[in-house]
Amino acid sequence: MNPFAALGLPAAPGLTDEEVRAAWRALAARTHPDHDDGGNPAAYTAASAAYAQLRTPWGRSEALADLATTAYVPPPTPGASAPGTAVLSWLAILPARVRRGRPLRLAARAIAAVAVALLALTVIPGTPSAPAIATGCALWLAFTALADIAPPPGR
Amino acid sequence: MAGLLRTLALLWLLRQAYRLLRTLISAAILAALWPLTLAAAASATAAWALGWPPARLYRAAARSSPVVAVWALAAAMRYRAWRALALAPVRDWQQATGLLTHGRALPALLLTAPLGVPAGLAAGGLWWQRRTAAVAAGSAGRHAYAPAAFDQRQWRRQARAARGLLAAPGPFPLVTRSGMVPAGAVIRAVGRRWTPVLAIPFALFARHMVIVGASGTGKTNLMIRLWAGWYAAALTAATRGKPRPLLCALDCKGGPDARAKAARTAKVLRGAGARRVAIWPDDATVSLWALPPRDLAVLLHQMTEHGDGAAAYYADVEQAVLMLAVCAPGGPPGSAAQFLERLDPAWLEDAYAGDPAALSALRAAKAHAGDIALRYTTLLGRLGPALDGPGCLADADAWYFILEGTSEPSVAEAQAMALTELIAHAATDRTAEPRAMLLAADDYSAVSRRVPLSNLYERGRSLGLGVMVSAQSWQGLGADDDERYRIAATADGGLWVMQTPYPQPLTELAGTRRVLESARKLLGPTWGDEGSTHLQHAWTADPDLIRRQGVGQACYIQRGTATFVQIARPRPSPLSLPAAPARPAGRAAPVPPPRVRAPRADGPPTLPLPAVPAGGPPPPGPLDDVLGPAGGRP
Repeated sequence: MNPFAALGLPAAPGLTDEEVRAAWRALAARTHPDHDDGGNPAAYTAASAAYAQLRTPWGRSEALADLATTAYVPPPTPGASAPGTAVLSWLAILPARVRRGRPLRLAARAIAAVAVALLALTVIPGTPSAPAIATGCALWLAFTALADIAPPPGR
Repeated sequence: MAGLLRTLALLWLLRQAYRLLRTLISAAILAALWPLTLAAAASATAAWALGWPPARLYRAAARSSPVVAVWALAAAMRYRAWRALALAPVRDWQQATGLLTHGRALPALLLTAPLGVPAGLAAGGLWWQRRTAAVAAGSAGRHAYAPAAFDQRQWRRQARAARGLLAAPGPFPLVTRSGMVPAGAVIRAVGRRWTPVLAIPFALFARHMVIVGASGTGKTNLMIRLWAGWYAAALTAATRGKPRPLLCALDCKGGPDARAKAARTAKVLRGAGARRVAIWPDDATVSLWALPPRDLAVLLHQMTEHGDGAAAYYADVEQAVLMLAVCAPGGPPGSAAQFLERLDPAWLEDAYAGDPAALSALRAAKAHAGDIALRYTTLLGRLGPALDGPGCLADADAWYFILEGTSEPSVAEAQAMALTELIAHAATDRTAEPRAMLLAADDYSAVSRRVPLSNLYERGRSLGLGVMVSAQSWQGLGADDDERYRIAATADGGLWVMQTPYPQPLTELAGTRRVLESARKLLGPTWGDEGSTHLQHAWTADPDLIRRQGVGQACYIQRGTATFVQIARPRPSPLSLPAAPARPAGRAAPVPPPRVRAPRADGPPTLPLPAVPAGGPPPPGPLDDVLGPAGGRP
């Protein structure tokens, strides 16, 4: 049985003692058998057992570890798997990394890069310099944008 | 006389004319190469104002080389002839100059940028390198204080640039894709290649590290970052078949903020992938009695203080009794209560019945057995139940041990001795799962008087155990200079020196470097035109600079190089780790591993012992918080 679910809490590592205690108190107050209507002894027993397990950080660590049937496997390192898979997984988490990084700054960078590239293609069209400047803008964006996105999970 | 004066005046005029001519030619060349001059001036000005080293400009020039390649490709496709391609830059320059003279600056700049910017960045870097070298050598600047003022100003700007880099979320993950552990933004690199981020190779953690810094300098941040980085790197290595990581952090100082520090460490470690983070003694316990009997007997003996002279005799008697009690035929004791029971001469006589040598030794020591029992009852009582099990180090992915070294130094020393012995045993235990281990002793000075960490430190490499020691000062690293040097000089993984008033012994370990030092004649307050330059040796890690370091700044000394860094706060990725795979329906949750160590299969049979009363008050029940103890009922 998932003790987090018994207390109505998410199975997340960041829970504090106070949050667990508050959840237990709320549940116990509702389901205690000493209520006039007899409460809910089954829910109360389950919540009591869950609280006994989750009341300390170590207990929560244990419970979280027990929920995972297998050990945590970090993302594969370059070369450890097929390159296509690595690229796909990189792309899959990219939106979340952008969202949790500095999206506004990243957007400003992208707008600046596109503006300069368009300016070059408009002002000096047909010259070798125009595509070169567009390449330079793309390179600048690629090198600097990495600073504005959050690291991948586990890193 | 007049002829001589005329000759001297002529020579002076010739010299001035030569200088003027040289200046004019240089100005003409710079004006002719205006795109390059503009880019070089802009890059050098930025480097001066923002504290960038020349390497940063070189790196930017190298990274913009694809721009040149694309330009060359586009030019080749357009002109389709080698001669025309070779003259294309000149044609662009002519066209841009023409546009500039007609007031059309933007197209002129855009036309020359693909070649002018990379070349200008490289030229700016070259000029900035020469300028900084000349000022450092004392051969540039307008007054005698110029080198010192320049250095101080550039340090401020470099530190500001490093702090600015820390605000970005991307450059400082706990571990990079290549398994390096980023520590912080580089302020200044001496004797090594400059990189914007100082990243420590994972392998260096197995070669020991020392961290020294006064209280409030950001030592805790640095340590948590290194621990979490090591953990994440080791976890990644575990996917390639290497052992799983086990971190053991000893907070030797304790105190009111230790719990907050422990909670923060646990949070960061969980973000790095640790599933079970145990905080000792609050959440989890370990068993001292899991040690092999002989090691246990020696450790118990070392945990009590002994004197010289006549006291040495009693120490020998005590050691003999401990050996008899721990190595009794029925196997080692399983708890403090069992051990204390064995210090009773009657129990020992029963256990060694039929062993004349042991009985003879027992008779000789019998008079002191009561004193020894009293002493160990007191010691084990003060140590508390947290070393009495159940539990072992393998139960968790990371342990944070809190020792009250400030309020109870002798207890903390004894606890530290026991824990380091347990960790060493876990590193060498061939029957258990091999683990990549890192032992970190924070504020080691609180227990350094009696804990021989340097022994473990020197053995660590062969044990596969990395050791990291932190202290508030050089003096805190050991009881005497020999011990301190044994710890610091063998730290191949590097020395982290934060702000501390006495950094010399540590900075000496970085050695010296060759520098040019110029002496110039002064005419009043300004330089004259005579002087000399000498080759000198200067400290690679400048002790004065280390004394002036701000909060969060550290000097990393490794292999004769010094890197000044602004330490990044340890923050794991805000993205959640992959969720656990769903358990098939109907399958029961796995049973947690037993916390009580089973008796060794190859050990002697266990003697029947009386039941051990549970130590301490019973654990609080789940209803206590709502209804009080016993559910509010009598």
